[in-house]
Amino acid sequence: MSEIHIDEILEAVWTEMEEGRDAVEGVLDIAEVEEKHEALELVKKAGFLVETGGRLKLTPEGERRARLIIRRHRLAERLFSEVLQLETHHIESNACTFEHLLSPEVTESVCTFLSHPPTCPHGKPIPRGECCEKLKPHQKPLVMRLSDLAPGDYGRIVFITPKNHARLDRLGSMGIMPDSVIKLHQKRPSYVIEIGETTLAIDSEISNEIFVRKV
Amino acid sequence: MDCHDKSQIGKESGKSGDESFPRAALAGNPNVGKSVIFGLLTGKYVTVSNYPGTSVEVTRGTAKLPGGNMTLLDTPGVNSFTPMSEDERVTRDILLKERFDAIVQVGDAKNLKRVLMLTVQLAEMGNPFFLVLNMGDEAASRGITIDYEKLAGVFGVEVVPAIATQKKGIDRISKAIRNPMKSAFSLRYNEHIERGIASMEPLLPESGISKRSLALMLLAGDNSLVSWLNSEVGLDVVKKIELIRQEVDDHFSESLGYVISHERVRAVEGVVRQVMTTETVRKTSLAVRLGSWSMHPVWGLPILLAVLYAMFVVVGQFGAGTLVDFFEETIFGNYVNPWSEKIVKALIPIPILQELIVGEYGLITMAITYAIAIVLPITGAFFIFFGALEDSGYLPRLAIMMDKIFRVMGLNGKAVLPMILGLGCDTMATMTARILDTKKERIIVTLLLALGVPCSAQIGVILGMLAKVSLAGTLIWGGTVIGVMLLVGFLAAKVLPGGESDFLLEIPPLRVPKITNLLVKTLGRIEWYLKEAVPLFILGTFVLFVADKIKLLEVIERVTAPIVVSFMGLPAKAAESFLIGFLRRDYGAAGLFKLAEAGMMDGVQIVVSLITVTLFVPCIANFFMIAKERGVKMAIAMSAFIFPVAFLVGGLANGILRGFGVTL
Repeated sequence: MSEIHIDEILEAVWTEMEEGRDAVEGVLDIAEVEEKHEALELVKKAGFLVETGGRLKLTPEGERRARLIIRRHRLAERLFSEVLQLETHHIESNACTFEHLLSPEVTESVCTFLSHPPTCPHGKPIPRGECCEKLKPHQKPLVMRLSDLAPGDYGRIVFITPKNHARLDRLGSMGIMPDSVIKLHQKRPSYVIEIGETTLAIDSEISNEIFVRKV
Repeated sequence: MDCHDKSQIGKESGKSGDESFPRAALAGNPNVGKSVIFGLLTGKYVTVSNYPGTSVEVTRGTAKLPGGNMTLLDTPGVNSFTPMSEDERVTRDILLKERFDAIVQVGDAKNLKRVLMLTVQLAEMGNPFFLVLNMGDEAASRGITIDYEKLAGVFGVEVVPAIATQKKGIDRISKAIRNPMKSAFSLRYNEHIERGIASMEPLLPESGISKRSLALMLLAGDNSLVSWLNSEVGLDVVKKIELIRQEVDDHFSESLGYVISHERVRAVEGVVRQVMTTETVRKTSLAVRLGSWSMHPVWGLPILLAVLYAMFVVVGQFGAGTLVDFFEETIFGNYVNPWSEKIVKALIPIPILQELIVGEYGLITMAITYAIAIVLPITGAFFIFFGALEDSGYLPRLAIMMDKIFRVMGLNGKAVLPMILGLGCDTMATMTARILDTKKERIIVTLLLALGVPCSAQIGVILGMLAKVSLAGTLIWGGTVIGVMLLVGFLAAKVLPGGESDFLLEIPPLRVPKITNLLVKTLGRIEWYLKEAVPLFILGTFVLFVADKIKLLEVIERVTAPIVVSFMGLPAKAAESFLIGFLRRDYGAAGLFKLAEAGMMDGVQIVVSLITVTLFVPCIANFFMIAKERGVKMAIAMSAFIFPVAFLVGGLANGILRGFGVTL
């Protein structure tokens, strides 16, 4: 039995607990491991979990570990869905792999890069990490979507993740490229941006694909 | 809405370009004033407006310059010579397939970076050219100063500052056009790209532009070149070229087109830093603030309503009321018609010929009266109002306000432009559909233009009639037409294959319209209207006259009675208006106008008849334009769809209004 098995069990327990459930059967149902019973025993033996009358409870140590797994999984989901725009089934399978691989440093970087997102794409909370706590209310997030700027704000384009190449070329021909500074003029009824002395109306979809650093 | 350029549709107007003269082409970003400069150099008017995409075709003219004549071409604006839409492709193809002694790049001085992106590409093409930096006044008012000498030094070509609307810089342009130079500026790309260029060049054919430039376009993945290349060098070479492209492409994670333009941007930014300084200008002008308000989610609406109300006042009340009263009752009622009746009866003794000219379906008493006394004053008022709207730069802002609504019909805000232009002339608007990126969008816009957008001549007559009914009647008419368009657009978007394109539209600054341009444009459009519409009015009247004489009209009225009288609840005579409405729906509307004036229709009947005629195909010319742009099959299919829908909706409106006992 490897670490991965422990992680999977703990992840399942956390997920069930979020829904207010703690039955052994429920956890075993959703845990993505083979030989589930052996895995459960192992986790209990390692001191992460106690079972009383068919109900499970995380020990403080188990909770700390589960928290980090869930955090890595949901951050990965967010990274895949938003920045890489993978399709749903790819997001899930890749996030499951990533949660076991990400080192603490990389996790912090991903979290910062995504501006410490509070929830995963499914709307479930992402447990906060150390980097999030350092984040003061006034501190600027590192990279944000153009659509998350407030009207009147300026942002320097960091990267663009277009749906297709044609869109990228078209944006490029209007001067919308990494390193250019753009101003968000308004969000409704359409997004309007200013770049140099050019004013452009753009799709809200495009404004979701332009990532900027606020200046 | 380049209505009066109609004669040039289908071909570039070749009549005034003598092939023996030296040749020059104007090229540059959209909405930078190419057409103004073209007009100043050639004396030939091309529609000038304040929104990108006014010119979608090439216009040729002869410039009489000191030192001899030159053939000059005005091209649609582009943001890159690797085309992204049909109108951009027109420009690139011209440069590729024709030879020029000079290319005049026109740019907007306040947007130097975007100008130089094209300059770099022109330098690569290897043609002799020079740069005109227009709108110097607007750049100055924004605190932008450009070192023209230094810029000229960087590219090794002349740089001419200009304010074309004030004719500043035109003298220097007409001299510089004699001595264009090949630019010494050469951008060295990443080594993989350079290697790709080097291996592609020997495979490429001779053309209007350098092989290096052609290679870069191909590397950037410009598929619009493939069919041309195929015919020039054959499929085998095209395959080799594609292999080279793929080999280069493998070295980059991003698309090659993007890598290439990124390198250009970097180079251009370096140049801009050297030659341009910007001081912060603190005060924002009224035009800038008004421009902001007009696309504001809240303030934009009252402004839109104010614009619509102003249109109603100018076109509906002043045009269709005051002006029509004057022309129809005073000029035609008191003078033209009685006099021509006297003259005709004195000169021509044959009664049937008398009737042909001054009878019920007389050429003067019907065709000319409709055309000149009813439609022209209304249309003229509309042309003036619409021209002012075009030149102000308001229309693209309207696109922002309407983007969401248009998405219901599988379109986006960009399609607002052709649709609004349809209010001027559906035929020209059909051509402007070229600015849209996908075929699906062009088809939907073409269909909706033909189905529901009333053109200036018609909207005027309709507003004039509705003004006399009631506000409720106007709203029912407008609501029904818009409802039908939304429904048809929605269904078409579901049925037609193909995707939606991006909404990416440049918003020009708001400007005060120039009276001279407004007058020239309005006169040009009135001239177009007279040439285009009057002959059809005369033809339609003649058809009616003959039909009346051989009693065909009675037959038609009897045959159509189940539809016109029973189903739609209209007087049998309305069939005549619908009949001539097949030729031009404004002519049909004018016939209805007369019926209403004569008190032969009540409010509901007026609204029902107007709904029906609004949903007709606009005119014969529009039909031919659809056939030209979208194919004959499509034109026939659309007509076969539109006319039954028009009568069906009219009948349903009648049934519903009568069913609920509405009186208007």
